[in-house]
Order: sequence, then structure tokens, then C-alpha cells
Amino acid sequence: MDFLTSLKISSSGLAANRKRMGAISSNIANAQTTRTAEGGPYRKKEVVFGSEPARESFGEILEGELDEKAQSVHATEVISSNKPPVLKYEPNHPDANKDGYVAYPDINVMEEMADMISASRAYEANISAMNTSKSMAMKALELGRN
Amino acid sequence: MNVNDKTLKALAASLNFRQMRQEVISSNIANADTPGYKAKRVDFEAALARALDVDGEMKMKTGDDEHFDVGSGGFDNLEPDIYEDSNGVVSEDGNTVDREQELAKMAENRILYDAAVQLLNKKIGLMKYTISNDR
Repeated sequence: MDFLTSLKISSSGLAANRKRMGAISSNIANAQTTRTAEGGPYRKKEVVFGSEPARESFGEILEGELDEKAQSVHATEVISSNKPPVLKYEPNHPDANKDGYVAYPDINVMEEMADMISASRAYEANISAMNTSKSMAMKALELGRN
Repeated sequence: MNVNDKTLKALAASLNFRQMRQEVISSNIANADTPGYKAKRVDFEAALARALDVDGEMKMKTGDDEHFDVGSGGFDNLEPDIYEDSNGVVSEDGNTVDREQELAKMAENRILYDAAVQLLNKKIGLMKYTISNDR
């Protein structure tokens, strides 16, 4: 147990939320994309978070109870939403089907913006946890210095 | 003054536990959006109070002269209590972390940590003063 562990946990939170932010910007940027490499319209990406014990080395794992208690977070997978696309009647669009409908991704930009704010708040919370850990570590260095 | 007195030990133990609490709070904040994660708490105040036992009120009561107090275990066997917070509000994804509450707890923990460092410094300063002979 040391301050590096709590820094590691907070940085895992930062990384996970960065990834989430990446997925959200991709969703906003591709809200109107009708053509993708996999074929069909763009599908909304969602990041799934999972927790795992923060310790890595063998000695740390042997250490005991705190193992399951202090957990870092990881973006375990990125899933593509299965929501059906929204059909719009645009007969002149190159991607229109034979009835003249174009399949657009079902992405609500407002929803993405709200998610983005939530991700950025989560990021900030992790930053402040990190700063606190850091300042506690610095404070510990002041021991006996007087 | 005894160099190995309780104050030093208690302050050192409290620094350790506050560090542990910081770790657990960081973990709660990092996992504030993890489905199914339950907020964790570290409790050490009661264990520390038992080890300190300033006014001797926490001694084991004996009803017979042949019974004896086994003691509180002192500072060597201090075990903090780590548990999942049962008072949290469960959100729809099964998560019980309240980020604001965690940040508040973190601020409190940090202030008390700094206070303990300051107290330790005073204590060490006092010891230094007693052993220095340049008056």
C-alpha cells in the first residue's frame, strides 16, 4: 500500500473516461454518417466500464484483503449499439435504397452532449483525487523537517 | 519522556490508515460509473481508540480473580475495517458511489492527514529540543 497505488487507480479512471470521451466524440462526428467500412450506417459506440483489483505484482497480490477493496477501472470493451437506423426519404442520396430511403444512424446529439459533460465531470473528479493523493505524499515528505 | 510512547505510534498508524482510506476513496471515484460497483469504506477510528485506550475504559471486564485481560492487541495488530457501504443509493446500473460525497470525504481525510503530519512534526521537534544541548 502506498501513494503510487492511489495514483494508479486515479489514472486508470482518467484513461477510462478519456476512452469514453473518444467514443462520444466519434458518435457526434458520425451522427450523419451513412457509409462505414463495415457497410451500412455508422452505429453508436458505447464504452463499458469494469473494475479490477489495483495491484499487479505477485507480492502485491499476496498482500491480502485490500486487493479486492481498492479497485482500478478499465474500459473493458467498446460495443456498437444495435439500435435500428433511422430511415429518411432522400431519393437523390447516393446511399438511398431502391425505395428512396437513406439509413441514418440513430444518434441523439443532445444525449451525446449530456454524456460528454458527465464524462468530463468524472475526469475532473479523478484529477482532484489524484491531486489530493499527490499533496498527501508531499506532506509526508515534510515529516521531521523542522 | 519515553521515546516509544503511544502518541508517535498512534499518529503513525493514523497516517497509514488515512493513506489507505485515500486509496479506497480514489477507487470509489474511479469506479463511479462502473456498473455494479459498490462504494467502499475504511473504518479504523474504533480500532485505533481501542489500541490507544487513553482512559483505560476499554479494558476487558473480569468477573473472577483468575480471569485476566488479554489486552487490546496494541498497535501491532491494528486491523482496519473495510466494507461495502450499505447506506449508498443504488443507481439503475447497480452502482452506489456518490461522487460528491466521496470528494467531501477525501477533503476531510486530507485535512486530518495534514493535521497528523503537523502533530508528528511538533512531537519530533519536541524530542529534538530535549536532546539538543545548545542552550
